[in-house]
Formats: sequence, C-alpha cells, structure tokens
Amino acid sequence: MIVCVAVVGHQNNPLYIQSFTEADDALKLHHMVHCSLDVVDERVNNPKKSGPTLNETFLGLLYPTENYKVYGYLTNTKVKFIVVTTDLDVRDADVRNFFRRFHAAYVDAVSNPFHVPGKKITSRAFAERVSTIVKSFGLSSAG
Amino acid sequence: MANFLAQFQTIKNSCDHLVIAVEDVSDLWPIVKDGFEERLPFKRASLNNKTRNPVFVEKLAAEFILTTDSRLRSRFPQEQLLFWFREPYATVVLVTCEDLDEFRTILKPRLKLIVQNDEREWFIVFVSKAHPNNENATKSAKKVYARLEVEFSSKKRERCCKLDIHCPEASFWEDLESKIMESIRNTLDRRVQFYEDEIRKLSEQRFMPVWNFCNFFILKESLAFMFEMAHLFEDALREYDELELCYMETVNMIGKQRDFGGVDRGDDQAVLLNPGNKPLTQIVQDDSFREFEFRQYLFACQSKLLFKLNRAFEVASRGYSFIISFSKALALHENILPFCMREVWVITACLDVVNATASHYIDGLVAPDIEKEFYRLQGDLYSLCRIKFMRLSYLIGYGTEIERSPVNSASLSMLPWPKPAIWPSVPPDALSEVFTKEKMILQETRRVKHFGIQRKPLPLEPSVLLREANRRRASLSAGNMFEMFEGRPVFNEGSGSEASTKMSPSQKVRSSAMSRTNSSPGNFESSIDRPMRLAEIYIAAEHALQHTISNPSLRKSLSSLEEFEQKYLELTKGAADNYHRSWWKRHGVVLDGEIAAVCFKHRNIDLAAKSYEKVCALYAGEGWQDLLAEVLPNLAECQKILNDEAGYLSSCVRLLSLDKGLFSSKERQAFQLEVVNLAHSEMKNPVPLDVSSLITFSGNPGPPLELCDGDPGTLSVTVWSGFPDDITLDSLSLTLMATSNGDEGVKALRSTSATVLEPGRNNITLDLPPQKPGSYVLGVLTGQIGHLRFRSHSFSKGAPVDSDDFMIYEKPTRPILKVFKPRALVDLASAISSALLINEPQWVGIIVRPMDYSLKDAVLQIDTGPGLAIEKSHVIEMESYADVSQSAADVGKSDAAHKNGSLAIDKHFEQLRLHDGRIVFPGWANNVTSVLWIPIRAISDRLARGSSSVSPQRQSIVDGMRTIALKLEFGVSHNQIFERTLAVHFTDPFHVNTRIADKCNDGTLLLQVILQSEVKATLTIYDAWLDLQDGFAHTRKGDGRPNPGFIPLVISPNSRAGILFSICFDMSNAEEEAKAPQPDSILNIRYGISGDRTIGAHPPALESPGPEVVRQDLIFRSALVLKRPVLDPCLAVGFLPLPSGGLRVGQLVNMKWRVERLKDLEENEVLKDDDEVLYEVNANSDNWMIAGRKRGHASLSMKQGSRIVITILCVPLVAGYVRPPQLGLPDVDEANISCNPAGPHLVCVLPPALSSSFCIPA
Repeated sequence: MIVCVAVVGHQNNPLYIQSFTEADDALKLHHMVHCSLDVVDERVNNPKKSGPTLNETFLGLLYPTENYKVYGYLTNTKVKFIVVTTDLDVRDADVRNFFRRFHAAYVDAVSNPFHVPGKKITSRAFAERVSTIVKSFGLSSAG
Repeated sequence: MANFLAQFQTIKNSCDHLVIAVEDVSDLWPIVKDGFEERLPFKRASLNNKTRNPVFVEKLAAEFILTTDSRLRSRFPQEQLLFWFREPYATVVLVTCEDLDEFRTILKPRLKLIVQNDEREWFIVFVSKAHPNNENATKSAKKVYARLEVEFSSKKRERCCKLDIHCPEASFWEDLESKIMESIRNTLDRRVQFYEDEIRKLSEQRFMPVWNFCNFFILKESLAFMFEMAHLFEDALREYDELELCYMETVNMIGKQRDFGGVDRGDDQAVLLNPGNKPLTQIVQDDSFREFEFRQYLFACQSKLLFKLNRAFEVASRGYSFIISFSKALALHENILPFCMREVWVITACLDVVNATASHYIDGLVAPDIEKEFYRLQGDLYSLCRIKFMRLSYLIGYGTEIERSPVNSASLSMLPWPKPAIWPSVPPDALSEVFTKEKMILQETRRVKHFGIQRKPLPLEPSVLLREANRRRASLSAGNMFEMFEGRPVFNEGSGSEASTKMSPSQKVRSSAMSRTNSSPGNFESSIDRPMRLAEIYIAAEHALQHTISNPSLRKSLSSLEEFEQKYLELTKGAADNYHRSWWKRHGVVLDGEIAAVCFKHRNIDLAAKSYEKVCALYAGEGWQDLLAEVLPNLAECQKILNDEAGYLSSCVRLLSLDKGLFSSKERQAFQLEVVNLAHSEMKNPVPLDVSSLITFSGNPGPPLELCDGDPGTLSVTVWSGFPDDITLDSLSLTLMATSNGDEGVKALRSTSATVLEPGRNNITLDLPPQKPGSYVLGVLTGQIGHLRFRSHSFSKGAPVDSDDFMIYEKPTRPILKVFKPRALVDLASAISSALLINEPQWVGIIVRPMDYSLKDAVLQIDTGPGLAIEKSHVIEMESYADVSQSAADVGKSDAAHKNGSLAIDKHFEQLRLHDGRIVFPGWANNVTSVLWIPIRAISDRLARGSSSVSPQRQSIVDGMRTIALKLEFGVSHNQIFERTLAVHFTDPFHVNTRIADKCNDGTLLLQVILQSEVKATLTIYDAWLDLQDGFAHTRKGDGRPNPGFIPLVISPNSRAGILFSICFDMSNAEEEAKAPQPDSILNIRYGISGDRTIGAHPPALESPGPEVVRQDLIFRSALVLKRPVLDPCLAVGFLPLPSGGLRVGQLVNMKWRVERLKDLEENEVLKDDDEVLYEVNANSDNWMIAGRKRGHASLSMKQGSRIVITILCVPLVAGYVRPPQLGLPDVDEANISCNPAGPHLVCVLPPALSSSFCIPA
C-alpha cells in the first residue's frame, strides 16, 4: 500500500505531500520524504554512482529499510516525486508505471495557468487524480 | 566425506601457511636451516590466481619442514588428497658430495628415487662444504655439481643450485627463492586445477539426492583456504561468495524442512566477525548446516578476508545488507526463537560491524565518495541498532522516555511487534516489580509543550502493545481485552482509536457481558488466562529479555532508565556523527534533534538549543513547515529558558509566520502574546527583530505616485500582518530607495503615531516629504512594538505573505513613487505682444498655463517696475483662455462637434482683488490655461515728439518698455515658485511726422502732419488742432483745425493718415510773445480707440469694455518743432574775377569784391540803422602783402539791390597755389551772407618774371 506520495521542488521544498494512512501520523511521512531527499541528492550529485541511469528519471529504490520502501523519481525540471510504500515486494515496473502516471498528472496540474510554478500544488483535481492513481497502484500490483 | 569435517577444521586451524618440504639427503639441514629460515616470510612472490593471471603477493608466510617430520609422514593417501592444501608446495633436496664416484654410485640413484614422484615440485640444493683454500676439494665439488646439473636439470627447467657454505654467492638466495616460488606456483596451479575439477564434479550432482552440501563445502573451503594461505585473498573471497550463493540455493530449496538454529545460549549475540565461534561440526544438520550459524560463519569468513584486503567499507556495506536480510530470516523463524531474539541479534550485529569496520577503517585510503558512503553505512548501522534498541526499551516500559518525534515514529510505528509464539508471561516472583511499574505508569506525566501547544503524539508502536501482547497469549477473548482498554486509558490515542474502531462490533456484542473482575492487581496470578495489563506486559518482557540477552553490556543498558538513556544517546550520537560525515546531512541533523531532546530533558539547555537550531534551520531552509512546526516550539522553549530574548522573539515570529493551519488560533495568539509581552518588558539588549515573514508590505496597485520635484505627498502602502490578533505598532517607518543610484541615501518615511495592524490587509498612509527626482521603490519597513524594534524586508505582491515564499527574496521592482526631474510646471506669458497705450489704463494680459500640474491655491505676486502702476481701483479679471495653438491640438483629441460645446461650458470668468500685491487663483483655474487681465497704467511724463523731415528723430522702443515682475507660488504647500518678469510695451497711439508741404508766395506754409498708427487697433480721429509755437500763426486767424469735412478720420492699424495745416509766420508784436513763450508747437488730436485687449491696445480699462458704453475720447498731444527757414541771405558777396594774365610774385594785383544788398533790412533782426557795412580782409601775411585798409566801413544803401565794390591792392609774395585773401563781413551773421559768385579757394601765383630792375649791380 502506498502510504505517502510527495512532490518536492527543485529547491527541496515540498510542493505536494499527501499521506494515505488512516492514523494521524502524516508528520512521520513528512520526515521520511524529507530524509529520502538525502538519497536523491546523493544520487544526483554523484553522477558516477548513477552511471548508466544518468538520463533515467526513475531513481529506483531509495531506502532499503526493513519495513517500508521509498522510491524516487526525478523529472527533467529537477522536481522529485517520492513514494513511500509499505509493500515490501514491489516490482520496479509497477513503480515505474506509477510514476509515469503521476508525472502526467503533475504536468497537467502545473500546466494550469493559475498555478504559480514553484508554489504548492493546491489543485483539488490533482489530489483526486493522485488518489486514484494511488488506489490503482495497489490493484495493479496485486493483479 | 562429511565425516572429515572435524578433521578439516582441525587441520585448518593448525596450519595457516604454506609448507615446503626439505629432503635432507646428506644431513645438511642443521647447517643451512638458519640461512633458509631467514628468508621467511617471502617478501615478494609472484603467484597465479584462479584465472591464471600473475598476482604479486607480499609477505608470503611459509615453513620448512623436513620430510622426516611426523607431520608429513603420518598421512593416509586419501586424506592427502582431500586436504591437499596442507601438503608441501615444494620439496628442497639438500645434497652434498665431494667425490664424483660417490655421486655416481650412491647419491645419484638415491636422488633419482626421490624425484621420481612427479606429483612433487622439487629441486636440488647442492651444498659445497669445501673450503675455498682447499683447491682440490673445491674443484671436485665443482665437478660433482656439474655432473649433478647434467643429470637433473633439463633445458626446460633448472633444478639445481649450489650453496657454498664458506662463501655463499650473493645470487644464491635469490636463486633459491625463485626456485621455491616456481615450485609453489606450479603446485598451486595444479592443486587449484584439482579442486576445481572436484568441485565441478560435485556441482553437477547438485540436484541429485546424493548431493551433500557438506562435501561441497569442504572442497570449496579447502580451495578458499588454500588461496588464503597463498595470500590470494581475492580468490578466496570469491570462493566464499560462491559458497554463500550455493548455500542460499540449498536453503531455499523447497521441500526440505531444516532446523534454523539460533536457540542455543548465546546465539542472540551476532558472530559476524568470528568464524571460529562455533565448531562447524556442531551445526551440521543432515547433509547441510544450520542456517543461523552457517550464514554468520560465511559472513565472518568473508569479512575476515575483506579486512585483510583493507576493505572495511565493503564489510560495512555487505554487513548492512546481511543484517537486513538475516533479520528477515530471523523474522521467519521468530516463533521458534527466544523472545525478541531478532532485535537483540540485530543490535549486537550492528554494533559488531560498526566497531570492527571503524577500527579497521583507515582514513584517506579510499576515494572521498567511498569514504562518504562508508560513513553513511556506519550511520545506517547505528540507526538500525538504535531503532531496535528503542523497540526493546519500549517493550520493557521505557517508551515514555522516547521522544515521539517524526523520526522515531517513522522508524518505530512501521516496525512490527515481535511475534513470539506465545507472549511471555509474568514470572511468579515478579509481583513487586509489577507494582512498581504500575506506579510508574500512573505517575508518568506527559510533558506539556511550550505555548500550551497540544498535539496528538505520534505513534511509536505499530499497534497497541496491550492488544498485541494479549492476542499472542493463548486463550484470551477480545472482550476481556477490551475491558483492559476501558479500565486504563490507553497510552497511545492514535493507535488506540484505530484499534477500537476496528474492534467496535465485537465490543458492542460483548459489552453487556463485561465484568470488572480483574481490575485489582492483587489477584492476577489466580488466572493465567486473564489478559495482562500493561505493567505486566512490561515486566514479562523485561524478564523474557533478561533471559534472551546474553550480552552483559546490552543487558546492563536495559537494566535501568539511566543506562538506557546513556546507550540511547550513544547510538543516536553515533548515527548522527556518521551521517554528518556522509552525504546524508538531513539524517544527521534530524538525529541531532533527538540528541537535543535528551539534552533538554537533562536540562542541558544550551546544547539542546544549538541542536534544535540546526534542525530548525534545516527544515526552514527547505520549507518543510510541518516538520518545522514540530521542532520550533522546542527551540523557543530552550531560548526562553536561556533568556535568549532575540532568539526567542525570532522563534515566536517564525512560529507566527508558519502556515496558519499548523497551529490553532489559540496557539498563535499565545505566540503573539509572548512577542508583545516581551516587547513591552524591559529588555536588556534590545535587538532588531526581523519580521519579514510576518509583516509584509507593498505599494498600492496601479501606477506609482507621481510627484514633481520638490512636492511633498502622501504615500499609501498596504501592509499585511500575519499576526493572529490586532497588534499595535508604536511607530512605523518605511524607507524608500532610489532605483537609479543606490548610493543615494535611503529615505525613511515615518509615522510616529501608533498604528494598529489588523490581521490581514491594512492600508497605511505616510507623509512624504519632498524627494529628489528619480523613481523610488519600497525598501525596508521598520517600526517599534514597545521597546522592540522590528524590521521587515519582505515585499508582498499585493497578497498576504505566502508561506511558500521562504526562498523568494524578491526585491520590489515596481516603483512606488516617481519624482520627476525639475521641469516647468507653469508658464506665465503676456497675452499680447503688441504695444499698449501709454498713459492710459490698459489691460495687460498674462496667460497662466499650468503644465500638467495643478495650480490649486496658487498665489500670484505682481510687482510692477518703474513707470508702471496697477490701477488699484479696478478688479483684476481672470478668464479661461483658449489658446489657439492648444485648441488646434485639441482637435485631434475631441471631435469638432463636441468641442464647441465643451469650450462654451469651460469658459470661466472671475474677478479678483489684489491684496498686498497678491492674488489668489480661483479653483477652476487649477488645471486650465487662463488669462489674467491686470489693469495698469504706464506713466510717462514726456510729451510725444513728432519727427519732421528736418529733424528725423524717432522714439526709441525702450522708452515704451515697462516690466512686470511676477512670482507665482503654487504646489501643495506653496513650495513651487515660478518667477518671471514680463516686458510690456507701451506706446503713443500715433507717431507724428511733419513736413512743410509747400511754401506759398504769400508766406503761407502748408504743414503736413503724417500720423502713423502705432497700435493694433482702429483709431478714429474726431478732432485735431495745432497749438503753434511763437513765430507761427494760423492763416486766416483760424483755430488751426483742419477741414471738418474730413473728420472723423478712421485710421486702421499700422496705416497712415495725413492732415494738412496751413500756417504762416507770425508777424505779431513782441509784447504778446513775452506773455506766453511757447517753444514748441503742440499737435492735439482727440481720438477714439476701438481695439480688443486680446489683440493689443484698446480703450482705457475704466469699466468693463462693451459697445454700449459711452465713447471716450482721448487726447493725444505731440510736440512739433517748427523752424523758420535757416538760409535767408540779405547780402551777397561776390569775388570779381582776377585779370586774365595771371598773378605773379611781386606784381601788384587788384582784388575786387562786390557786396550787394539782396533785400531790405527794414524788418530784419539786424537792427543797425546805419547804412554802412564793416568789412575785413583776411590774408596770410606770408603769402600776401596787402596795400590799403584791410578793415573798414563801406557805405551801402539800405535799399535792396544797392551794391558796392571793395577793391584791395595786393602783392603775392610766394609762388604756387595759395589761398587768396578773403573778404568777411564781421557784423553780419554768416547765415545772411550768400557767396555769389564764390571766391576761389586757391589761386595760382606765378614766379616773378626775370627783370633786370631787380638785379643788383655787382
């Protein structure tokens, strides 16, 4: 289950962060997303490490912890997408697919002429679309 | 083969180096032993690795062992093959012989026997004992050696070398070493080949039932061990890696249930770095090994090799993933393992790896990025260890001591509870501990956050421990459990509510059946199945853990709260420090915050504040407000305790400027209250407070305020207040910055009166003193709340402060104020350029043209120059002025149809009064061009003078010039001053020119008076008369008026008219003249003027001009000078011609003049009654000698036409052209003498004729 998705701006500022847990513990997810930026930074700043995946937007698994997984995605405009999932066996392809759809939603959201680039995404339509994508992620990985 | 495991282990432990066999044929070993062993270990050796590539190894350890040694003798052939790695890698045959025959008969067969075994790598060392002085012995030794070489060495391979005991050659040892190395290399290659073959064979059977992992392991490890002995660690490591892979495959093979292991005493301690911890024989299970021990064993072997390769980083990296994956494996078998075995194992494993890698790690040996990665891994290990440690602590009831921070919550709330088969129960003897714990739980108080902030604490547990623990106990009903929830408030509300909602249906069903039988702690031992209470769970877990943990230090760390905190701090610090040295700064800083929490608890506020500051800076820098809102109150509290007013204030401001949704309004009000209270208290060091994030300002939308140079104004500014309540600012000032030049001082606008800012938008107006020209942007907002000075740099774009704007320090670029360069704001010009009538009240028009600038309340000061006076009795008129050029321009703007109407409407007229030389402009004249009509009179007491053909004098223009000095004060506070001096030209209506048109025989003179109109107005002459001067009179004794039939005479502007007067010389007597001497004649003209003041001269401004007003006749007087004719000769003097013969020097000549009376002298002014004229002859006495009377009276009749001739005898004295003598009449005015005919100027005098009469006799 995806517990949190986040869009982080190129100055590492949160643009959109949404948790999908029932408990009132969004703050810990904020923390996870924020800390995972360390890994994103590391990968971006160490081109040697990223090597062949230099042009790849999908950053892969950022965090191999025991209990949850954090995946990252870096757009060309240096906007980061972070996903925290509690599924421990997730296929990379699923996550890639998820990010692709998420990216499309993001692009649509920021193409809104009333959206100020670099500002938080407040679009409700975007939120709904994201939650649809998140829900369908669970389904596709199950199927 | 598995039976050999024990033996294999012993062999492995006993030998860790290569063996070189020494076949001591001639009992030489004791002699050479020292020399040989000195070479050990081999400094540098070249060996082949598994892929047959040469590898240089250093410090290769080896041992020389005699073949007769028991270690080499007592081996079974089968064993030899299996444990081939321990067999000698080279055989050195030591021989000596001094006799060739002996060699041939004894030594050679023996050697042949020794070397026939091809399996061995051998070579012969011939030891020569011959003393160098003993020549024979030396020689024979040489011979024998030569023979030896022939027999045993081949072209392919040198197998002999010679050692001279008495004087060993230097090259011998190198030779020996290379030979040994060659042998070792060959042996190694052969054995590697052998093992590989064997392993391959075995591998092929892997999926067959006969497959035995132990056999495979022995072979594989033998190979690995051999590589290790040969210092080929890389190859050894590879073997172990392959072994691990193979093992994992075996383990994961489905269908085989194996014992996992890990249930022995002490298994809770990880043995990741000690391969010899447990003998392998103990962990053999069927055909394989127990996973728990064996995987650790393999990792230990790998790490040992990695440390030998100086790759501590890799140990850490492999270690971390190993721990994670092994922890998963432990989780799978958790039900058979002791309680919390997994957590304990991870803790010990992490600490082991951390300590071992840290001690083996050498700084600067690896690339910087690897180094960072290494520290990151260290941090990860510490962090993992810390999480597990916290989990254990929570289980034994230290959960309240763990900060419920996001980082702890993130790691703990997603970490599942241990899943033992049965949750441990309370030992019967721990009753008192349960009581103590119970008491502790009851006593514990939640720390209230500063500012009274109330937050739902973040969960540290994946689900409610109470429920989880009781669920894992055998026969327990959910109903009973719920009684527990009801009986005692669940510590964690978040998860508790979650749990209760999930369980609510069952709760409803059973609620009626609930009984409170077990609320008293006294009777808990009576029922095993009774649900455990929290204190019991803690105590049970504590006892179970004591049982599980074998590591004394870990046990100690969990024994008391102090020990726990110490360990917790140690782990947190370890993680933070290592993260700080890695790329993962955020992780480090966040953990610093955890350290700060502990410091804070121990009242180490200083340290806590420092760490909290770092955390806050991190979150604030990247705009993670939610997280910042969690930490910032802590920092504020520290600052308050430390009495750091500046810091505390800025923290309060930052709290206020956070997203409004993050705090309740009550909390926000508390923040504001703190700021205000502190501001009004006595602050020791008042520091300026930056409230940029809270109070922002912007100019009003729309174009900037535009001011002319020198004008003050009022600036309206929008200020956004982020305070939750109204806030009173004791003073407020705002700086303006010139955009053009920065060095121009910043101007501050002040509003000293207290301003109350409401939350949200406020409009503030500030007085703007006159500014220098340029455009200005808003600079800084400063002000004071109580004693607190604050400043805000933040410029908002007409919206409330955006919480996202944390990084946008946008400078206000839009000018708020434009002050124009000094320019003409108004123009004063005279309305007409043509001349006005002098000496008459006239309207002088002054056009006042404001140039895009209001003349509100303008005051005009009028100062007339000399010769000009304002007619005080008259009002000044002001009317709007439609400039011709202006309205021509206006045509383009407005359509013509509309224009007429608008002009008519816009027509203004007003009469103004002059006070102290000043007039105040009416309101309608603020923005329209107007003309000001001022009644003035130019005063000139000079009489106009006409000119005549005789004296053509013209009046200078300057005479008619007058000046008016105007000073216009206008602008908002009469700060603008415009001064101008206008020249106004005045003139008489006419210029008069006279001439005598004709002179009649009867003495009548016709005087023509030409009147030139000087003004741009039509002049009408109603009457004209001439007051004549003495000596002239009107003919016919008239009054000197011209023919009335011509009057009135209209003269158009700039045209001329003439009037003829007939006059004659006055013959009246002298008495009359004495009465009224009149030097000049005066021309009087009564005229009227009909002109428009907008054009030029006009009727005198007595009343308002209009046709209905009675005609006012004006009188123009001009002086004329009449002169009697100047030339009036009464005597004519004529020079009579000289004799034609010419004049000669010395010759007498008669000069004759004729004097004739031309007219009667009766009425003449020459009142000499005698009839004689006085004459005088003037001549230059140098030139002429005159005979006779030069001066005398000659008689001349008074009658006209009488004449006389005066003759004078003269003798010229010099020759040449000389002036002749002149006749003058001294008594008669020269004007009355006419020279007719005129005498010559010069006469020619010839030289005297040659004559003897003048000769003087000799």
